[in-house]
Amino acid sequence: MKKIWHIGRLDLKLMVRDKAFFFWILAFPLVFILIFGNLYQGSKTDAKASLTVLNQDTGKWGDYFIAKLKSPGIELSVVTTPPGEYFRMLVIPADFSQQIERKASQKLQFKKDSQADLKAGAMADTKIAQAIVKLLAELVMYGDRDLKDFFDSRSPYRDLVTVRSRLPEGTIAKVPSGFDHTIPGILVQFVMMMVLIYGGISVMEDRKKRVLARILYSSASYAELFGGKFLGRLLMGLLQSAILVGAGLLFFRLNLGNIWISALNILVFAAAMASLSIFVGSVLRREEVIVGVSVLAANMFAALGGCWWPIEIVPPAFRALGMVSPAWWAMDTFHQVIFFAKGLETVWPNFLALLAFAAVFTALALRFFKVSE
Amino acid sequence: MQQKILEIKNLSKSYGETVALANFSLDLGKGEVLGLLGPNGAGKTTLISILSGTLRGFSGGVAFKGQDLFADRNLRNLIGIVPQEMAFYEELNAMENLMFWGGLYAIPEKELKKRAQELLTVVELGARAREPIKKFSGGMKRRLNIAIGLIHKPELLLLDEPTVGIDVQAKVSILDIIRDVGRQGTAVVFTTHQLAEVEQACSRIAIMDKGTILAQGTLAELIRIVGEKEIVEVSGEFSADAFSAIIRQSDGNGMEILSVADNQAHLAFADSQAIPAMMQHLFGHHLPISDLKIKSPNLEAVFLKMTGRSLRD
Ligand SMILES: Nc1ncnc2c1ncn2[C@@H]1O[C@H](COP(=O)(O)OP(=O)(O)OP(=O)(O)O)[C@@H](O)[C@H]1O
Ligand SMILES: [Mg+2]
Repeated sequence: MKKIWHIGRLDLKLMVRDKAFFFWILAFPLVFILIFGNLYQGSKTDAKASLTVLNQDTGKWGDYFIAKLKSPGIELSVVTTPPGEYFRMLVIPADFSQQIERKASQKLQFKKDSQADLKAGAMADTKIAQAIVKLLAELVMYGDRDLKDFFDSRSPYRDLVTVRSRLPEGTIAKVPSGFDHTIPGILVQFVMMMVLIYGGISVMEDRKKRVLARILYSSASYAELFGGKFLGRLLMGLLQSAILVGAGLLFFRLNLGNIWISALNILVFAAAMASLSIFVGSVLRREEVIVGVSVLAANMFAALGGCWWPIEIVPPAFRALGMVSPAWWAMDTFHQVIFFAKGLETVWPNFLALLAFAAVFTALALRFFKVSE
Repeated sequence: MQQKILEIKNLSKSYGETVALANFSLDLGKGEVLGLLGPNGAGKTTLISILSGTLRGFSGGVAFKGQDLFADRNLRNLIGIVPQEMAFYEELNAMENLMFWGGLYAIPEKELKKRAQELLTVVELGARAREPIKKFSGGMKRRLNIAIGLIHKPELLLLDEPTVGIDVQAKVSILDIIRDVGRQGTAVVFTTHQLAEVEQACSRIAIMDKGTILAQGTLAELIRIVGEKEIVEVSGEFSADAFSAIIRQSDGNGMEILSVADNQAHLAFADSQAIPAMMQHLFGHHLPISDLKIKSPNLEAVFLKMTGRSLRD
């Protein structure tokens, strides 16, 4: 164990010593974060749907109905004269109360501005429908008694009805955006790229210089040597992650959702990349080739995995294709915990998938890892 | 008889068709400095690789201090190996390298530091301990390479061509280090294809070729193999075949052919009186000779006699 740590620690030290280290590990990813973070910034007006209610009712039922419309997701403004500008407006007619008490049907007018946001509109629609359902339910419960006494009789059924609306399973209600999406995305991309490049090249060079063989001249075993090389690359990935998470917290108010799940996600993903880098450094013999392959693989996996744009906005076929990329599973886990407040009960299959990637990469690394040419 | 530290018995190793070691046997006593002299491809690196435990697929056995070397990994803590390559981290300085390599052995940090400082003085890098290795000369790198092999105070030190590719002065300094290490009681085996080196630094010499030992002993013992003879080195624009054809026509007269190659041949004469007649014979057949040297018996002659070829290729 001590020897594994001794060997692994050195690789991290050598990476930090590299002159270009801080550029690659901090400055470069920050540029990416700024570009993509602003590109996929969520529009703030989406969050709350504005709804104007023109209340022309002369009785009590209009106000009662409006009270049912109030909800945290709706920015409600009630007016009595037609406003000049609105996104969407619900008109309650003058005879609204009379018609209810007469138990007659009536029409509510709903007007939309052509500029109005569709998603916000859908939210308003739902709220209006919910208010109507609630009101109707109360009327049904009230029964045949005279509705004129409704407000005095303190019906025990009042407000007992709640309507819960849910979108069909699997519908994406919210598209992850902003820095909370971009920082994990760039983190995943750079963990791949840096671990593959630095980790791959040093495995190749240590083999060529016979440093790997020399480690085995001591009483260190093959398993300790491999373990040390794995640990070194894992530490590289964790250092890259820590730097970006630190920058995110400091400058971008990064929210990682459940911090433990996010940390575990980073750990497992970095472990998969650590093994992959040993494999890459074992089968490739030239620095330029390793850099080329690493950059290509990291960027392809990043694009497929949804590191650059939210995977939720791409066509389903492309999204399914993304599952071949380990980054996909890491990004999905981030999105689940950061944007959808999900826990281990939802993301455990993602961890299984990442562990499977790690197992395959480790098997390949073990198969091809050698101490001399 | 000295106590044996290393006993190599019938080591054989082939790479496909190529035989690298063929029934190689060798013993080494405590504190002995053995020079293993062999031309390119003789199997020197193969031998060191097997002894280092990183090359498998051989037959035969090796005992270290009476125990099977390959049975117990911990025996490696008692052996130092200096590979032909500069196998260390150029990104680290000399001190950091020694601390890393020493850290692979269970040496307490404080002791390790002290040992590293001592060693850097021994290999004359004391003043350069914290300088970037990239600025080191070839000789300095070679010396650091040796220091790393000594960091854990091994009882046996194996060096593979420790003087390749450096200038004469640097070579002398490395041979001095090797001799000193031997004087401290560490047994040493170093491989080389430089005759002068083994003559200078070794208490015993073994000549190997084609994977096996051809002769071994002290310098004096080896020279006795050639005997009290005069060695004649003939150089010129001739082919090996042409030379052989002409020499066969002479009556020999106690002459021994040590080696014949294109452009150079070596002959040994028990009776120096026979030399002029032989020369007349060669000139008489119009052999284009450009240079003639007469030498007293030396290691080179032994080597030529044993291998039939020159070391300089
Ligand atoms: N990995 C290998 N695969 C195939 N053949 C090899 C391999 N390593 C060495 N050989 C062959 O084995 C023989 C012995 O090689 P070795 O490297 O042990 O010789 P050496 O005495 O160290 O030579 P040199 O002075 O050139 O270093 C040579 O014929 C060489 O070509
Ligand atoms: Mg060699």
